[in-house]
Amino acid sequence: MNTDAIHFLIIDDEKIIREGAERIITKEGWQATTTDTGESGLELLKKNSFHILLLDLMMPGIGGMEVLKSVQETHPDLLVIVITGYATIENAVEAMKSGAYDFIPKPFTPDQLRIVVRRAIDKLKLKYETEQLRLQQEQSLQDIANEKSKTSTIINHMADGVLVTDHSGSIVLHNPAVTRMLGLEEQSPLGKTILEWTGNEELADMIGKVLTMQGSQDQGLSQELARGDPPAVFFVAHSAPVRTEAGSVVGSVTIFNDVTWLKELDQMKSDFVNMVSHELRSPLGSIRQKLSLIVDGFVGDVTEEQNKIVQRVQTRIDGLIGMIKNLLDISRIEAGRLIQQKERIVMPEIIESAVELLAQDAEAKGLRLNVTIDSQMYTIHADRQSMETVVTNLISNAIKYNREKGQITINAGNRGDFVELQVADTGVGISPENLPRIFDKFYRIRNEYTRQVVGSGLGLPLVKALVEAHLGTITVESQPDKGTAFTVLLPRGVN
Amino acid sequence: MAKILVVDDDPDLVESVSTILQNKNHKVVQAYGGIEGLEKARTEKPDAIVLDVMMPDKDGYEVCKELKADPNCQDIPVLLLTAVVSQIPNTTYTTRMGMETEADDYVDKPVEPSELVRLVERLLTP
Repeated sequence: MNTDAIHFLIIDDEKIIREGAERIITKEGWQATTTDTGESGLELLKKNSFHILLLDLMMPGIGGMEVLKSVQETHPDLLVIVITGYATIENAVEAMKSGAYDFIPKPFTPDQLRIVVRRAIDKLKLKYETEQLRLQQEQSLQDIANEKSKTSTIINHMADGVLVTDHSGSIVLHNPAVTRMLGLEEQSPLGKTILEWTGNEELADMIGKVLTMQGSQDQGLSQELARGDPPAVFFVAHSAPVRTEAGSVVGSVTIFNDVTWLKELDQMKSDFVNMVSHELRSPLGSIRQKLSLIVDGFVGDVTEEQNKIVQRVQTRIDGLIGMIKNLLDISRIEAGRLIQQKERIVMPEIIESAVELLAQDAEAKGLRLNVTIDSQMYTIHADRQSMETVVTNLISNAIKYNREKGQITINAGNRGDFVELQVADTGVGISPENLPRIFDKFYRIRNEYTRQVVGSGLGLPLVKALVEAHLGTITVESQPDKGTAFTVLLPRGVN
Repeated sequence: MAKILVVDDDPDLVESVSTILQNKNHKVVQAYGGIEGLEKARTEKPDAIVLDVMMPDKDGYEVCKELKADPNCQDIPVLLLTAVVSQIPNTTYTTRMGMETEADDYVDKPVEPSELVRLVERLLTP
């Protein structure tokens, strides 16, 4: 509060007191207005805003007591200091009882007046500050209420599900989206556990794990869940612990994304790819078959020149057929429909027969094959054809992307509880910016060198998908102009 | 010289396979669908059948099954022409091939002429 703005009204019929008081007050930097009767004082009060009233009790006309009573009603915030003579000290007491703030007996020294006035100003300030605090508090309570309703509006209108539990796993907050995704009744689950409310053990397990997470590095878990039989609603739940500053878990927040439409889209895509592939494959097979009649001389003699051309056409068609086959395999793996007949697989056999199959291609390019296979290699539990595809693709890539008279090094052996297959070439290598993308579908590195190589951009994605479908991993290391090495790890089978 | 029934809904393929077999001096009877194939198997009494799997009216598995259930036809050897072996999920494939259809052999389309001849002639050899 700016004390310069404090405005005094002095009502006294004695000119000396009036002017004296005015002088003292204005000298202190405050404002003062004076008047000599109760009536004119009340008039002034109606028109102007005053903070402190210095009021003489004994005046002709309307007396001070009456003015006091009047302003008590009209200006309850006005601080009234009554001025009174010694003879009428009882009047001062009565005035105080009637609501005056203080009194000053006449005659008074300037210092006495200053003391009384300052005390009144301090009181005013205190009152003002208290009022400000009250207003602030009211405002912040209002803000909290607004914020709360804003937050709950946001949470309730989110498309993603939100589920919050306390440390014991009881639900403390949820939104309609989670109810909808989980297909539950619209009734309050507050206080129930996840399992009681949803009956979903997977979800309850996951949140249970999150609630017992130790250490601050555990950021939470994500899991894809499905509902319905057959599953009709798919969602991904991301659950994270809520920690105190000290690090102890006090609850969990789980966000649910509905991914059903993604699944549907994916299914449509797979169906489309499947349909197109089948439609393409039949006529291509038919064309290929017809060409073989020419090449094999079933329909009359062909010149060497003609034969060469037709053979080249055949090679290109074989490339297309191979690509369609890969595409079908990939879409089937992605749709989870590649039903695999898993059996005990002896990897050295698969590797050796792949090497045998491709030895001719390698020889044609003058490549040297260094094959080292640990005969003690564990057997694995896998789909034979998938494993053949993996090994053949890797070796055939090593041939295709190698340089003339280069080398291919194949190492196979055990590594922990895994079998390891490494295929390294001495080819063009893959630049660091291309390396992360080589397992992407239809990604082919375009450069002078690879232009010569027939490829579909589906070989490596297929290998990766097959390896992963067998719970294995595939990694790649490469140095441009030096070569590339692929490493496959597959879990050993249980004998 | 034997009489061979070629069944496929793709006329181009029937023609190709016929050409290859005729070239090896076999007599070829053609059918352009499963139902027609079954009929001709019964009326023509071929020495062997080259049978496509994927046909719209009646697929090769079904035709093969009916042939093997027919006392007059069950001894005719059948070579199944599959689109791609891997195209058929393995479990289904194995079950159907081994237990239901009792086809005598199978080969992926497209097939090299020499391979087709080799397989057919192997079927003809008692």
